[in-house]
Amino acid sequence: MSHGIPRYVQERTEEARQQQLRKIEKYQELDKLVHQKIAEHEYTTETLQNISELLTTNPEYYTVWNYRRQVLQHQFSLAASNDSNQIPTLIKNDLMFLIPLLRSFPKCYWIWNYRLWVLDEAKRLLPATVARKFWQEELVLVGKMLSLDSRNFHGWGYRRFVIQSLENLGADEDGKQSRAQEEFEYANKMIGTNLSNFSAWHYRTKLIKRLLDEKSAGDEERKKMLDDELKLIHRALCDPYDQSLWFYHQNLMCTFDTADSAQTMAPNLSTADRLEYLLVEIEEIEEMLDGAEDCKYIYQALINCTLLACKIRGTSSSQDRLNVTKWLSELKTIDPLRSKRWSDLEQRLKTELNDR
Amino acid sequence: MALVSGPGRAGGGLDGQTLCTQKHVDYIKNLDTRREDLEYWLTEHLRLNGVYWGLTALQLLGQPEALPRDETIAFVLSCQHDCGGFGAAPGHDPHMLYTVSAVQILVGLDAVDELDKDDRGGKQKVAAFIAGLQDKETGCFMGDQWGEQDTRFLYGAFNALSLLGLLDSVDVPKAVSYIQQCENLDGAYGICPGAESHSGQIFTCVAALAIAGRLDLVNKDRLGGWLSERQVDKGGFNGRPEKLEDACYSWWVGSSLAIIDRLHWIDGDKLAGFLLRCQDPDGGGIADRPGNMVDVFHTCFAIAGLSLLKYKGLEEIDPVYCMPKSITSKCLAQ
Repeated sequence: MSHGIPRYVQERTEEARQQQLRKIEKYQELDKLVHQKIAEHEYTTETLQNISELLTTNPEYYTVWNYRRQVLQHQFSLAASNDSNQIPTLIKNDLMFLIPLLRSFPKCYWIWNYRLWVLDEAKRLLPATVARKFWQEELVLVGKMLSLDSRNFHGWGYRRFVIQSLENLGADEDGKQSRAQEEFEYANKMIGTNLSNFSAWHYRTKLIKRLLDEKSAGDEERKKMLDDELKLIHRALCDPYDQSLWFYHQNLMCTFDTADSAQTMAPNLSTADRLEYLLVEIEEIEEMLDGAEDCKYIYQALINCTLLACKIRGTSSSQDRLNVTKWLSELKTIDPLRSKRWSDLEQRLKTELNDR
Repeated sequence: MALVSGPGRAGGGLDGQTLCTQKHVDYIKNLDTRREDLEYWLTEHLRLNGVYWGLTALQLLGQPEALPRDETIAFVLSCQHDCGGFGAAPGHDPHMLYTVSAVQILVGLDAVDELDKDDRGGKQKVAAFIAGLQDKETGCFMGDQWGEQDTRFLYGAFNALSLLGLLDSVDVPKAVSYIQQCENLDGAYGICPGAESHSGQIFTCVAALAIAGRLDLVNKDRLGGWLSERQVDKGGFNGRPEKLEDACYSWWVGSSLAIIDRLHWIDGDKLAGFLLRCQDPDGGGIADRPGNMVDVFHTCFAIAGLSLLKYKGLEEIDPVYCMPKSITSKCLAQ
């Protein structure tokens, strides 16, 4: 699959053709050699080198990653049986081998996946304190990867996995097991670098809930956190054209919807609280319209909050209906790509709101 | 079938373009003649997927016979292992991803019976390989014996097993509850519990729920809203907020919208226009974006996207299976 590769015109000279054929021949020879050695269970250091060479040429070759696992497993059991304490070195070398490949192919599933396997082997074969050091260093690596590409899907997934493993390995030197606080700070830092990083906002949503749950926070403390988050997102929304911010805003608004609130940071707000929050929110968002009348996200949020307030009250005022109609007609004009979505909503509301 | 990209490139973007059907058929037919390209050999690990992508595109274009049937079946069978699973090519290890492609190709060619020949153990053996990859604790599926878990594999298992009529060989309710744990507050789904919503993963989760008959669990309006926001001004879809558009997302996003009955929430004409601009009108094939290298992966999913949009002359696609509707309807009715 080629993603984002500009076209070029291929005019191949006879010389270039010959060169290509030689490359193919060399690749096939190496491929054949590796297959043969594995078929003959030749799990040697030399085979490992051949495998490294093949994977450097073609890191997507998943079968050869499996061969690598087989060779290493063999070497691990050798090291274990002759009591040579070689396992940490084998693991360290293998992790080093992967670094340049990850740099060149940061979106290759097989490399990330293989790396996790090696680290799991460390957990399986080494004392927890030694294994923990290996896993700990992964945080530095994934931090670097995410600073190079702050939205890399694999990078964020890998980070979550590393954190989970560290936590499962038990308490660190300071006797602390949960890393939610440090991760919250990390997400904060990433948002600070680029407000538009939805991956970091998403991580933040999950972490806040964990943080509060872990310290068995009471309702007041949760409310305080919610207030802080609302303040933060309002400040960030001085650029109201950023979709990422509005998805975080929508996540926060779920706190006021009884259908979702159990999954949010403040599940026990009173009905009066929910309504109060929403009214303040509607006011805040309406102010954002000033100078950004063409920003569709503002109208979407206004409709969302107003409908939520109507749902809580179990009734809608004629002013609510008037407002929603007005915002919907704005949306249909400024968001023609999704005009049918807005007319569907209009139809739905005609029956729903009039029933209330 | 090669997965070599190029040599062509997508057109310059003249509006009013039409689908260059014959060029695409020829492009796909010629992929296997590219053995003098190193990339042909470097992409061997995708060969069986490539056959599925090529075959599906040809079926949608109305020319399934452009791929020689007997040779194709023989190639698929040559990728099978004693455990029942399939590798990407002969000699490559068995894996869920290729096993699903193998089943899809055999169903597409009405050749599932071939599995009963030469002591292959029939479709039951293939199903046993897939069922063996379910994690009994989480309900999710692994890709192979080395243990990577991903909702892609869960969907793949549901896809292949239901086509074989053997979905009851796995714990469906457990898998469904795993999918529910992957749901986020935005109504969309991630690769595992806790992960950010991603269009590719949404397709796997929603299509798996459709196969399980549990679309009642989907918050259709909220998810539909998130998905519809993937369309950017140029007409194409991106996979996540604030990312670049890509022709293959016409499939991941479009099929998800179709499954939850919200495909009309986006501008189909603009999407079709974007996809047509991604074509190479001279050499055939479709790229991720206009002006980029074409490949069979993007060719398949762009044509599948156009089929969702009922583009004239294309066979109707099944949004859950990414196969012609006529084939899945017949297969699932058996």
